[in-house]
Amino acid sequence: MIITWEVASELSLWPSFLFPSPVEVLQTLVQGFSDKTFVLGIAASLRRILIGYFISVFAGVLLGLAIGRNRFLKETVGSLILGLQTLPSVCWLPLALLWFGLNDSAMVFVVIMGAMLSITIATETGIRNVPPLLLRAGRNMGAGGVQLLLEVAIPAALPSIISGMKQGWSFAWRSLMAGELLYGSVGLGNLLMVGRELNEMSQVLAVMLIIVLIGLCVDHLVFAILEGKMRRRWGLETG
Amino acid sequence: MRLVRRSTPECRACQGGQPRSMRSTILGVSAVPKLSLRNVSKNFHTKTGKFNAIQDLNLEVKAGEFICIVGPSGCGKSTVLNIIAGLERPDEGVASLNGKPIRGPGRDRLVIFQELALFPWLTAIKNVEFGLRMAGVAKREREERAMHFLKMVHLTRFRHSYIHELSGGMKQRVALARALAIDPEILLMDEPFAALDAQTRDILHEELQEIWATTRKTIIFVTHNVREAACLGDRVLVFSTHPGRIKKEFQIESLRPRHLEDPNLIVYAKTILAELKVEVEKVAQEELDYDWRTGQKRPVLHPGDHHLGSGI
Repeated sequence: MIITWEVASELSLWPSFLFPSPVEVLQTLVQGFSDKTFVLGIAASLRRILIGYFISVFAGVLLGLAIGRNRFLKETVGSLILGLQTLPSVCWLPLALLWFGLNDSAMVFVVIMGAMLSITIATETGIRNVPPLLLRAGRNMGAGGVQLLLEVAIPAALPSIISGMKQGWSFAWRSLMAGELLYGSVGLGNLLMVGRELNEMSQVLAVMLIIVLIGLCVDHLVFAILEGKMRRRWGLETG
Repeated sequence: MRLVRRSTPECRACQGGQPRSMRSTILGVSAVPKLSLRNVSKNFHTKTGKFNAIQDLNLEVKAGEFICIVGPSGCGKSTVLNIIAGLERPDEGVASLNGKPIRGPGRDRLVIFQELALFPWLTAIKNVEFGLRMAGVAKREREERAMHFLKMVHLTRFRHSYIHELSGGMKQRVALARALAIDPEILLMDEPFAALDAQTRDILHEELQEIWATTRKTIIFVTHNVREAACLGDRVLVFSTHPGRIKKEFQIESLRPRHLEDPNLIVYAKTILAELKVEVEKVAQEELDYDWRTGQKRPVLHPGDHHLGSGI
């Protein structure tokens, strides 16, 4: 793939500022990392997404549990959340800018609105689909109230919660990039826009590469391991 | 009080220094059954109307007794277990344990469900420990007790396996150990061996009797298999359907350990089956087409290619 890319750019079918060679992209990467602009961008973006994502997981799981256990909440808050999920999270950006101003809080807010809802919905579905038999067995063995929730309902709903968290992460990442592209201070999305403004295609490609790599890393290192461990325990897949 | 005065000298001597309340409990031991259901009824509401699952059920169980309940499907056998377990409340009547009414689920009455309800996210030993953990037993004691009961069901080698890695019979053993670890007074078993192959079931029958004999638990065992009931039970209760109530009771007198093939058990099983058959047919009559009949004399069934010498 990379060789094809290199050959295609050597043939200069397109002007090189629109179609840089992989070597140029690599040079930009090295330079970006050595003069710390990329490092700062990555750090800023990661900081926002980590804060936003952890708040989303915490709030989303709690909200999902509450909705999953309570019929009244399901019919009120639950349907509101289902409705809100149709709204792309970038649409929250104007609201966030007015509320928080042009700063990190606004970005974090957009991330939360992107990730939390899908985590909430997944948690609620998981809780609702816990086999009643397991709950009965738990109650029979003396678990009640909070204990039943922590020791039976949540572990039983874990597969669904984890897939919600995985989906939430990709939503969070997308929301953040969209937000930063539109109104970013320092950050990966902002680096993309700077690349565009300076007509530097190699920077644009380099930053895109970084975004993809971070996404893949989190997916493979965090979620794949978490999910694989759980699936093996439950016997959902062999090997 | 009058009863106390009339009692034997030794007994009077032993009562000498005890407070009055204690005296009455000592006298009460034999009088109060371990478990009693009085006039218990339970209805379910379905789309077609009210469905009478159990009506006016009366049952007394002595401590250490092994009771088997047989009945056609839908006769309320499982409902009885759930009421005793406190997972369901009777609409009328009282279920009481040691003379005290049952108000909710408790560790003194443990159900082994037909589908076992083992927790797939825990290993075998963690499953066994679950009830103890809920009771707040310290880690070391928990592990010791779990190991003790896993040893009793001969499954210590697989203690760190997850549930899906175990065979049907092994899962059954984990469920049994999990229930025993909590040290309940009554074990309620809801068709636990129904899904097992015949050989594994035979082995478990034998071991269940052994465990019952060593732990002296009171066991109520629901099954649809008449021979299993005759093999395991001191008493076998045949349930009738619509409404569910006890139709007939059989006292099984045979030495233990018993096996399914014991000739006298087969005789018992036959009489129980005769009683049960009427009920099963009643259910079939309700479920099947109107032209369904049973008990007709059918000619000997044979494939059509026998010529009986007509071609000679």
